[in-house]
Amino acid sequence: MAEIILSQDALASNNRAAAHNRRLFEQYGVLVINVMSSPGAGKTTLLEKTIEALGDRYRIGVIQGDLATQIDADRVRARGARAAQINTHGVCHLEAAMVNKVLPQLDLEALDLLFIENVGNLVCPSGYDLGEHHRITVLSVPEGNDKILKYPVMFLRTELVLLNKIDVLPYFDFDVEQAIEDLRTINPKSRLIPISVKAETNLDEWYRWIDEVYARWSKAGA
Amino acid sequence: MSHEVALMGDMLNLVAEDMQKRGLSKVKKLKLRVGTFSHSVPDALEMAFEIHKAMKAPILTEESTLEIEVEEARARCVICGHEYVPDHRVALCPNCGVPGGKLIAGDAIRILSYEGV
Repeated sequence: MAEIILSQDALASNNRAAAHNRRLFEQYGVLVINVMSSPGAGKTTLLEKTIEALGDRYRIGVIQGDLATQIDADRVRARGARAAQINTHGVCHLEAAMVNKVLPQLDLEALDLLFIENVGNLVCPSGYDLGEHHRITVLSVPEGNDKILKYPVMFLRTELVLLNKIDVLPYFDFDVEQAIEDLRTINPKSRLIPISVKAETNLDEWYRWIDEVYARWSKAGA
Repeated sequence: MSHEVALMGDMLNLVAEDMQKRGLSKVKKLKLRVGTFSHSVPDALEMAFEIHKAMKAPILTEESTLEIEVEEARARCVICGHEYVPDHRVALCPNCGVPGGKLIAGDAIRILSYEGV
């Protein structure tokens, strides 16, 4: 029996689906940001606040990835964004094909900006391209600054780290300087913005980042 | 573990696509190469393979086997170009001590080949 040489990356079909998504996003003029973090870092609350703050400037949509429930999609819908929920039924990450399946629920033509809130997990989501333009990671103070070095793959593949919950810094041993240094070591191109969504600290810097990437992208497409 | 089950499902789909083109229907042996810095380890992939067998994946039979070749991670220093085996994902060049070595091998999982009937 002949051995058939396939020599394909295990993620080849995901990468194909991601390329397809990316073409759709370009065609409809939607800038897509993949938001990753561990569970409880504050992704949904961040997006709620972002929709409130930028809802006048951009038409915003959100895709929520969770193992189960519609809770998160309902939360961002209540803030006036278009939302679609993906329930992965146990799968620890979103895949490009899952995203593709819910796109008809969103009406891409009516959107400028789409956030994909990945499943809360600092490992698996980092390997899956969803067709996004930008990847960001939310890290929160109670998790500890060692997470950057302990989960390097996630932080190697992110261009922005939002350090959330800095209002509780006095109660934790989180070393912000060390976090910035560790991030610089493993991923010199990445940037860290300390914020508190709840206390509304420094959120303008995050909004400015969005404005910048959006402006750069629409200029490139024009 | 759900990660490996999903990943194995993707790989079996890629193999199934290729088999269909060749008029084959069952895998006798599947060969993978797993990097030491990929997201996975051979044991978990072997278990995922057995799970897909138990779930009656159309291209697998009781006799289907999985062979895994482990690929050691290699990094190249961004400054001096020295190639080395890094201890961690955060690669420190043993030659000049600079971090941020670029991984040149061992961070992926590849389907190498299969035998089918």
